[in-house]
Amino acid sequence: MPFPLVFIAIMFGIPLTAAVLYAFLRGGPGLRRYIVARIALTVPMVLILGSLVFLLMRVIPGDPTDSDLFLQMGAEQREQIREDLGLNDPLVIQYWTFLGDIITLDFGDSLTGSERPVLDEIGERFPATMELVIPAAIVALMVGVWTGTAAARRRRSPTDLGLRLLSVAASALPLFWVGLMLQLIFGVALGWAPVSGRIDPIVGIELDRITNLLVVDSVIQGNWEALQSVALHLALPVATIAFALSGTYLRLTRINVIETLQQDYILAARARGVTDRRVIYGYGLKNAMIPVVTIMGLQVAILLGGAVLTETVFSWPGMGRYLIERIFARDFTAVQGGIVVFAFVVAIASLMVDIIYSLVDPRIRL
Amino acid sequence: MTDTNLPLTPLSAELTRHGLLRRILRARRWYGADWWMVAIGGAMAAAFVVVGVIPGAFAPHHPQAQAGPRLLAPFEESFGGVMIVLSEDTLTEVTDLAGEDRVPIGIVAGSDSGQALRDEADRISDEARAAGSDLRVRLRINRYETPKELLEALMAGDVRVAAAGSDIAAQGINDHPGIRVAGPITEQSTETFPLGTNQIGQDILSRIIWGTRIAVLVGFVAPIISICIGVPLGLIAGFSGGRVDRLLSVLMDSVYAFPSLILAIAITAVLGPSLLNVIVALGVVYVPTYFRVIRGQTLITKELLHVEAARSLGARSHQILRSFITPNVIPSAVILFSVSIADAILTGAGLSFLGLGLPPDVADWGRDLARGQASITEAWWLVVIPGAMITLIVLSFTLLGEGLVEIFNPKLRDR
Repeated sequence: MPFPLVFIAIMFGIPLTAAVLYAFLRGGPGLRRYIVARIALTVPMVLILGSLVFLLMRVIPGDPTDSDLFLQMGAEQREQIREDLGLNDPLVIQYWTFLGDIITLDFGDSLTGSERPVLDEIGERFPATMELVIPAAIVALMVGVWTGTAAARRRRSPTDLGLRLLSVAASALPLFWVGLMLQLIFGVALGWAPVSGRIDPIVGIELDRITNLLVVDSVIQGNWEALQSVALHLALPVATIAFALSGTYLRLTRINVIETLQQDYILAARARGVTDRRVIYGYGLKNAMIPVVTIMGLQVAILLGGAVLTETVFSWPGMGRYLIERIFARDFTAVQGGIVVFAFVVAIASLMVDIIYSLVDPRIRL
Repeated sequence: MTDTNLPLTPLSAELTRHGLLRRILRARRWYGADWWMVAIGGAMAAAFVVVGVIPGAFAPHHPQAQAGPRLLAPFEESFGGVMIVLSEDTLTEVTDLAGEDRVPIGIVAGSDSGQALRDEADRISDEARAAGSDLRVRLRINRYETPKELLEALMAGDVRVAAAGSDIAAQGINDHPGIRVAGPITEQSTETFPLGTNQIGQDILSRIIWGTRIAVLVGFVAPIISICIGVPLGLIAGFSGGRVDRLLSVLMDSVYAFPSLILAIAITAVLGPSLLNVIVALGVVYVPTYFRVIRGQTLITKELLHVEAARSLGARSHQILRSFITPNVIPSAVILFSVSIADAILTGAGLSFLGLGLPPDVADWGRDLARGQASITEAWWLVVIPGAMITLIVLSFTLLGEGLVEIFNPKLRDR
């Protein structure tokens, strides 16, 4: 397995394991049972999504070797490729091998380009997507929760109405258009930020791609010039995704803070003379965050979909771009592997969110 | 996520008491901004639907026709260009060349004026042919790299007419005595385009108007497909419970967790590019949304008194499902429908922006936006206008849908 993927697995694996261990040591039997059940549910989820990919790719009429790429080859060569891909086997056997391949993360060699193993190619592309979506999710959460609380505090004021309209607009604006407008304003007109790529190519030459998370790479190599270039390249795409996501967080935080502020314990706190600030941020927001955490799981799907569009707009060499490029190149194995990787990410992300949720919500911790 | 705001308690009780339409009309309890959200959203959505159904009545040009020069900014005067000849030549317009054999004409390679002259010659020939006359304009085109070479060729007598922009002509007459401007190449090229033209001279306004049809089609048909699959499955799962319910729920939840855009990408990639395939892909992608809401509603409705009463009176399962549960869950499907129109349009636009789904010759906003990105530095209007249209249509359906959700959601309404 390529090192960048191992690195990301460790990066997510440590907090996840820590959370699970904490839940087991400190939590009650209910929480323990819940977590075991939740982890067990990940397996059918990956299998179902995998089967869906299989269904799409193999059962629907049409043949990966019918594309222009292979039509130029002779019939024998095509037959050889079909044989190599296992397309001549009965569907049941194909399905069985496919499931086995998913579990062992063996997606075969890509049919185009350098014809390297798909997993190696993904190892190059996947960190780029992570570097894009993780900051975007954090920025969106912070902005959304902050503005949502502000709106809830001044309910029915012009601020509230304005922020609500903004959140409606954020969900109506096509993400790719937001990206293009940012390019037009900050890239073309003002010239503040670059509009494509991950790093200035001249600076990039001197940077070893160890983890392929360029922020991490430039920090551990102490290359501050590279770090600056990476940050500049990140600015517009991250802003694009964060803007699209923050609207939902704003709306949810607002509704939940309003709801929480109507609870009796808030009234009790106020009666005891707790300051307004503390009531809202200490009591209100803390309890209102629980539903916001739940929605984060669903936001992962939007985040990844948004990453595909944003990567296209900003020529960002991540997973989304990989998928689209290989669809156009009719690279059957790469497309299949790419979609399965997305399925993995979705399954693991929703597992993480659910475990965080169970730790945050005291009602489940019993 | 819009569906988290959806009502989880049956609307039926209120709906039967007041009636859907009456509630909307009287709407005394609409709070805050919602009434005008629905009004504005509804009016805009209706306008989009009308334009989408009969785009031909609004569009000044055919969406694929080359209506004018390339990359003309909004309201920019189109550039006609002039013909330059030697002073002793009596030529004044292109028609004067008709009937002569292969007149040598000089143009600067790739220039707008050269293209305009050829178009004008073709137009006159076509008219002549239509009138049954043989006075066609036959040209022999000589291409030059720079205006300077062109004018030198004219002076040397290599060509009889040089086509150039009026600025080049003014400069040329200054530098080279003995030549004059014969007249404009064409008299009908003064048309301006309110939204400009694209890289191949297509009228953006017309493409936008025709693109509405695609958006409206995708927005309405795809959710109908989702309803046709999602509602029955949700009813069955919620009503029957047990193993069927668990199986369907796990299946639907897995699909629901998967990014809808990526699923739609995968489906259209397999099915191939066509409008129908895009609609089918989007329809399939949103099935779980309907399934989840309808299943939840069914679970709640199943426990209500009137269902229990019907059961104790000996009504059979399919009767209960048909007469007592289905009418109670349909309103939430209708509300969800108005929300998912916006979703479907947005995802559909994303698909065509990525270049998947629609055949390349269709006038579509997402497609035009992707093409516009190639010229983002020189033609802002190619990027701004289609995106603004997607935003407007999505906004109108979102306002309508969200307004309706808030009105019919008793949990949120009184806040």
